[in-house]
Amino acid sequence: MLKSKTFVKKTRSGGVMKIVREHYLRDDIWCGSEACSGCKQESTVLQTDACMESSLCSYPHYLVPDTNVVLHQIDVLEDPVIRNVIILQTVLQEVRHRSAPVYKRLKDVLHEKEKHFYTFTNEHHRETFIDREPGESANDRNDRAIRVAAKWYSQHLKTFECDKDGLKVVLLTNDQGNKQKAEESGLLVYKCEEYIKSLIANPELVDRLALSNDDKNEIGSSKVLFPEHLPLSRIQAGIKCGSFLQGTFRASRDNYLEATVFVQGEGDDSTEVLLQGLQNLNRAVHQDVVAVQLLPRSQWVAPSSVVLQDEGAAKDDDVEEEEEEKALRISAAEAARKPTGKVVGIIKRNWRPFCGMLNVSQIKESTRHLFTPADRRVPRIRIETRQASTLAGHRIMVAIDGWPKDSRYPNGHFVRSLGSAGEKDTEQEVLLLEHDVPHQAFSQAVLSFLPKMPWAITPEDMVRREDLRHLSVCSVDPPGCTDIDDALHCRELENGNLEVGVHIADVSHFIRPSNALDKEAASRGTTVYLCGKRIDMVPELLSSNLCSLRSNVERFAFSCIWEMNHKAEVLKTRFTKSAINSKASLTYAEAQMRIDDTNMNDEITKSLRGLNKLAKTLKRQRIDKGALTLSSLEVRFHMDSETHDPIDLQTKELMETNSMVEEFMLLANISVAQKIYDEFSECALLRKHPAPPPSNYDILLKAAKSKDVEIHTDSAKALADSLDGAKVDGFPYFNTLLRILATRCMMQAVYFCSGMDSDFHHYGLASPIYTHFTSPIRRYADIIVHRLLAVAIGADSTYPDLMDKHKQSALCNNLNYRHKMSQYAQRASVAFHTQLFFKSRGILNEEGYVLFVRKNAIIVLIPKFGLEGTVFFDTKGKTVPNLVFDEEGPTLSVEQHIFCIFDKVKVTITLDDSNVQHQKIRMSLIEPVITGVSVPAPDAEPQAKKLKLDN
Amino acid sequence: MATVKVSEAEKVYILHGIRDDLRVDGRGCEDYRHMEIETDVVSNTDGSAKVSLGHTAVLVGVKADIGKPRPMVPDEGYLEFFVDCSANATPEFEGRGGDELGTELSNTLYKVFDNKHSVDLKSLCISAGEHCWVLYVDVLLLQCDGNLYDAISVAVKAALFNTKIPRVHISADEEGTKEIELSDDPYDCMRLNVENVPCVVTLCKVGHRHVVDATLQEKACSVASLIISVTHKGTVTCMRKTGGGSLDPESIFEMTEAGKRVGKALHAPLMTLLQEEESLGKKRLKVGFLG
Repeated sequence: MLKSKTFVKKTRSGGVMKIVREHYLRDDIWCGSEACSGCKQESTVLQTDACMESSLCSYPHYLVPDTNVVLHQIDVLEDPVIRNVIILQTVLQEVRHRSAPVYKRLKDVLHEKEKHFYTFTNEHHRETFIDREPGESANDRNDRAIRVAAKWYSQHLKTFECDKDGLKVVLLTNDQGNKQKAEESGLLVYKCEEYIKSLIANPELVDRLALSNDDKNEIGSSKVLFPEHLPLSRIQAGIKCGSFLQGTFRASRDNYLEATVFVQGEGDDSTEVLLQGLQNLNRAVHQDVVAVQLLPRSQWVAPSSVVLQDEGAAKDDDVEEEEEEKALRISAAEAARKPTGKVVGIIKRNWRPFCGMLNVSQIKESTRHLFTPADRRVPRIRIETRQASTLAGHRIMVAIDGWPKDSRYPNGHFVRSLGSAGEKDTEQEVLLLEHDVPHQAFSQAVLSFLPKMPWAITPEDMVRREDLRHLSVCSVDPPGCTDIDDALHCRELENGNLEVGVHIADVSHFIRPSNALDKEAASRGTTVYLCGKRIDMVPELLSSNLCSLRSNVERFAFSCIWEMNHKAEVLKTRFTKSAINSKASLTYAEAQMRIDDTNMNDEITKSLRGLNKLAKTLKRQRIDKGALTLSSLEVRFHMDSETHDPIDLQTKELMETNSMVEEFMLLANISVAQKIYDEFSECALLRKHPAPPPSNYDILLKAAKSKDVEIHTDSAKALADSLDGAKVDGFPYFNTLLRILATRCMMQAVYFCSGMDSDFHHYGLASPIYTHFTSPIRRYADIIVHRLLAVAIGADSTYPDLMDKHKQSALCNNLNYRHKMSQYAQRASVAFHTQLFFKSRGILNEEGYVLFVRKNAIIVLIPKFGLEGTVFFDTKGKTVPNLVFDEEGPTLSVEQHIFCIFDKVKVTITLDDSNVQHQKIRMSLIEPVITGVSVPAPDAEPQAKKLKLDN
Repeated sequence: MATVKVSEAEKVYILHGIRDDLRVDGRGCEDYRHMEIETDVVSNTDGSAKVSLGHTAVLVGVKADIGKPRPMVPDEGYLEFFVDCSANATPEFEGRGGDELGTELSNTLYKVFDNKHSVDLKSLCISAGEHCWVLYVDVLLLQCDGNLYDAISVAVKAALFNTKIPRVHISADEEGTKEIELSDDPYDCMRLNVENVPCVVTLCKVGHRHVVDATLQEKACSVASLIISVTHKGTVTCMRKTGGGSLDPESIFEMTEAGKRVGKALHAPLMTLLQEEESLGKKRLKVGFLG
């Protein structure tokens, strides 16, 4: 049966278009219930004994939530207790339209077999489809569609099930009108709260209920604290005519009464608007997209340097606030004032569930508590929970439900507990969540695209592949590596030249464009390596097995094969999809041993020696061209094999073989970049590293000058050469320190689409073009590059999104974001493990170097641990010594002593765990001795002996 | 225009019959052939109608679009006509064969509607001088069996009757920039008053008499015809003469009078029919093109 759906739409040019869609109704949509004998369905989702023990419904029943229930109570629906739910298509579509994150979560729930969630396509069912009536709003129509479908279900089940268990359908809605109408038509209907509260087995679910509108009125005083937000239409009109500005709200980390709004202008011209005071912040939360109105110039202020944290008990009157706000208004010099504004409306909320801890209310038996998020930029949230005593001391997640204008704090609800604070698993979870690293287990939909095991190469696979299984290929990786992306070989040709091959795991063979697996990988963007844990981009079957180029198994590869002469000049390059059989997976150390051991002369060792020789030549050539060798201290933890606690920590060592593998990977990346750019000049995915602006080098130049060393920064080559030449007698560590400083001056390398940019240069590698090709198991960018290259050599077919530069560019933005976040997460993980390490080691006295000099502190680097820490001279509650900061040096004189960059100092390291959410490594000065500032050296390593005994 | 070849003997037969007020198909001189009308036949237009008259069949669709009012009349909307002679109707229209006829037909439609009373153009104005509704009236000839003008005019009237223009609201902010807002209710729309929309009556001079709704054979016997557009009150809004022959003033007068009479008689049942169909609402059985 055919129906047509008609609606009118405004076109971009201001016209009006009538759009008609054909809509087909069917009579073969089944109800999905196990109990039904009337529907000819192959498999059923909903169980016969749908038992959720509830004091309201003593009989087995299915739940039919309406759209608002799904949107607001998805946290509850996700709970394993809630099963046998019918999600109507009407609801699914509305959810999809209103909130993408909730839609994704709902889809995941629908895929989960144990949840017994069934999607009923009521909009296409002949008996449940309804047309919109004249005078009916779209929402009313959808509500009616939900009621009609629920009615249909209850009648359908009555007709077809065997009468004994009396299955019923329960409609959940929070809308009073809808509930009334449903009751009139004889449906079983409850408010969501009513129903959840009636669940006998799980009283704690009540805490996860989001507060609905009528509840909010109870909380908070009746006093209006904030100005009303403008409606969206006014905001849009205001932005159009320039009276408002649109931007992203960024709360200040140090001062909860201050924030900036980053307004993206045309091209590069973007401005920042300063916001100060609760009223002007007007309930905006970090990362929201807001509309701001500039205040008159006379009211502009300068950003304050005061650190203010929202602490203490819940404040309902704003007396204290006013005082704190007053503290901000220090009359600033005219020049320091910045454009200041106030938030007039919210364009888009960017709320996510926040991690943090509960401040248990002082009033006993109170169910309302304040929650302090781990991210200091997020305001405290008021939640209602009955489990405060159990949750105290735990890291929990809380979602914001709303922020009414008469409430000092946003209202939220408890989502879940992550575990007790300070525990390793909990903290790991927190840092993953806070850095937005997707780390859930892969959904069923994603896993369904994995190849079936046992997997073997078939003759069809080999049609388009070169058989390289006979070559003596080997891989060289760090110890314990299970996701081996790359393998190498080198052999002498008959004409005396060398053939060098880089073989990269052929991940794009397994991950086909646009399926769920591909989308998931694209969204994750990268594998994240934390200390002792890896969060995979692709499921383990691929990352550690089918794609990993392990030894003595046949694997697919994408090979880049060069013919080179002995001077490492590339004579010929070719790319091919291949099948290889790695003969050995070596660690860097093992490979080094083979090369050095003159007794070994097998194929692999010969191949390694050839590679090593070429790599040295390649490296020299690259450095001659001006590639930079920079330094950053990477630390490695020795983990206890059982408790996974860090026992020792050392900086990573680099061997010749490290740079051997690296050299060939660089060469492969450059060759591939050139090839895909030649072939697809508009849509090649490349990586660039912009040259830093000269001002970035100021600190490096000043630091070098203090030791009478001159550094040239006109070009990468000049910088590289002058860094090589920078040596100070009696200070062997100077060069490394200088390189660490140089690293800090650099810009971030980014992915981009060649059609959207004109500057391709990679500054650090001194290469005109570069991309990532060699790690497709752990980076999504490489998968795209593989696909492009496969199309270029005719080994695979293309697809529209691959050639769309705007889509590519959007993808690049996501990859850059994920890459950045994964690095932050990695750093946070190292920091956490460093803290654990120092916790177990107690107090340590170490030597270090001054890396930076600040107005009130020096930053000290301890080479032994690769640890950086700050020594403050103006700690709270102590008399501040006489501090004179000289920008020119830069130097800081404390009383009589003058600190310069590179000064050697001795510090004592302790763990400051006064704030459970933000544990810190604290350093205090031992040497040089300055009275009133330095501390006497405490007894070092009091716990070390105990530790040894434990082992 | 589609023509048929008629032999001398046939011509005499037709001429003599008409002289005695008896036409080949048994009609009187002022009778129309069987006419069928159905509205709302094309879902993606804002108003549409299909009319068949004998074997002549035309389809009219009306699309409403927002445009700029003409500078001379800033507070009025306007209508645009386009007639497409598809090669379906007759093989002669193939390629550009139908262009000339199409232009002639649409020009006539412009003339017929070129007066203040046919359609209330002021109701099509959204904001004076800035936005107005433009109604694109597209006519498609499906089959030609004589008397295209009359069939088209009836179909245009029916289609305009059927036209539902989405209601728009003008919202202005403090700065005075106006924004057009659409109602999200598809039922919230504006209807046109088509009472005064004229119908065309074509009178063919055959011998000394004239006939209404001539078939192709009769047309072949006629030397000249008069196209008159008449409103329901009998007001003539436009008159044209076509054909190679000449008409004496007396017969022009006679023909005009006959045209008014026939036209008035045509409007009343047409309006009742349209209103009846409309009142059926969703219960109406749609015939469409295959019925």
